[in-house]
Amino acid sequence: MKSLFKRIFVGSIALIIATVIWLPCLQFVFRYKPNQFHADTGLSLKSKRLAARHLELWTEPKLLEQELGKMRASNAEWDFMGRSFLVWSLANMALREPESKATYLQTMDRIIDETLRIEQQEGIYFFLMPYAKSRPFKAQPARSHFLDGEIALMLAMRREVEEKAEYKRLLTDRINLLVERMQSSPVLAAESYPDECWMFDHAVALAAIKIADHLDGNDHSTFFREWIRIAKQKLVHPETGLLISSYTRDGTQMDGPEGSSIWMVAHCLQLIDEDFARDQYQRARKELGRTTLGFSYAREWPISWNGPADIDSGLIIPVLEISAGSSGMALIGASAFADEQFLSSLAGTLDFAAFPSSNNNRLKYCASNQVGDAALLYASVLRPLWQKVKGETKL
Amino acid sequence: MSRFPQNIIILWRAEFFSPKDFLRRALVISVAFLIAHLAGLREYTSFLNGTMASVELGWKMCAFLGLGYLALYFAFVLVVPILILAASLLAIRQKFFIKKI
Repeated sequence: MKSLFKRIFVGSIALIIATVIWLPCLQFVFRYKPNQFHADTGLSLKSKRLAARHLELWTEPKLLEQELGKMRASNAEWDFMGRSFLVWSLANMALREPESKATYLQTMDRIIDETLRIEQQEGIYFFLMPYAKSRPFKAQPARSHFLDGEIALMLAMRREVEEKAEYKRLLTDRINLLVERMQSSPVLAAESYPDECWMFDHAVALAAIKIADHLDGNDHSTFFREWIRIAKQKLVHPETGLLISSYTRDGTQMDGPEGSSIWMVAHCLQLIDEDFARDQYQRARKELGRTTLGFSYAREWPISWNGPADIDSGLIIPVLEISAGSSGMALIGASAFADEQFLSSLAGTLDFAAFPSSNNNRLKYCASNQVGDAALLYASVLRPLWQKVKGETKL
Repeated sequence: MSRFPQNIIILWRAEFFSPKDFLRRALVISVAFLIAHLAGLREYTSFLNGTMASVELGWKMCAFLGLGYLALYFAFVLVVPILILAASLLAIRQKFFIKKI
């Protein structure tokens, strides 16, 4: 009996020492350089493999139908956002790899045309969650800023890569709608859902308007300045200084700052007000970004805001408060602001805990889905299009 | 009659919390993880973002299979190396410390 107790005691000490040795070392198994995820020029291997999987989906109707079916069973928005993120990714990829531009443009056009066709045939509710029908939109006729903004950004980015005459009118009409509907509210807010305005959708819309200005020689700079002024004054969470994620049409706060929104918001605002965008990124990094044992991740909500796990955050892992949605979107922020250390560590976490699965050089993350993977692809290729619009050196 | 099963049992037998016991546990976890991995349960981890890996199986079953894979994966990545390291530490202690005493 004495020897058993001694064995348990010595064995336990050995287990403790082994744990202390192994846990800090684990990060080195999954660590790689930032440019292995986001290359400065061309495409990283990861981008190529992620893109190959998406291009395969859009050339194999059965596969696509399967993937979209799985996502639509949870959230119809994901079907739409998967399209948007893929088109935005392909636009950046076309600028990074001019030799493959024709292939990328072909897929972009297919997605855009198909999305516009569905929108026209099925109406706005096809891509919205069911509660969109629970009450009428305040601004009539009913339109969703979520759909209009993302479609406008798809059209604008496509045209930025290469002009397409038939998209010019479509983009101008969409931009006019975006601006007109925002201007009809005292806080320049347009509804994505009935009396529900989302910061994410406004940031996307502003980016689309800015690119359209660049393409067509218009100037919405006064409108942008006004929006930034109002946002700083009325749409900021006082404790963190971060932009809130949702509000009513008159500017009443709904949800506080949210990880699945703020990283993309900061990225889009880079086109509107670089200093404000960087400030938002740094605040988000401080309030939401975390690193444990060398693995970085992001919280959905800051400590000062008590919010629930929802369809945007994905599952929130208790204690560490890891949000799958926010951690994925944090890669977009880290890539956009060239935060190499955070980016590298987030990418390590992705390989550690998002379950990559490679098949014939096609990569997907099992813990993700088509929209999640498209957002990751976007994180791995973004920058060239923004640089082009801002008149910086092209890649 | 073949003595193979008996030999296996003798080989498998280990004192509780001995180096061999740790290695045996590491092996069981690794084999269980390998089976789950080859069975394609990795796909079911999509429950983490709220997506069903299979609409036919339904949400509950997908989450159950995904959770099972998750548990085995983290056991394989976190626990197995710790067990192997602990076994090595105990073996080193036995070889270089106990004998000298």
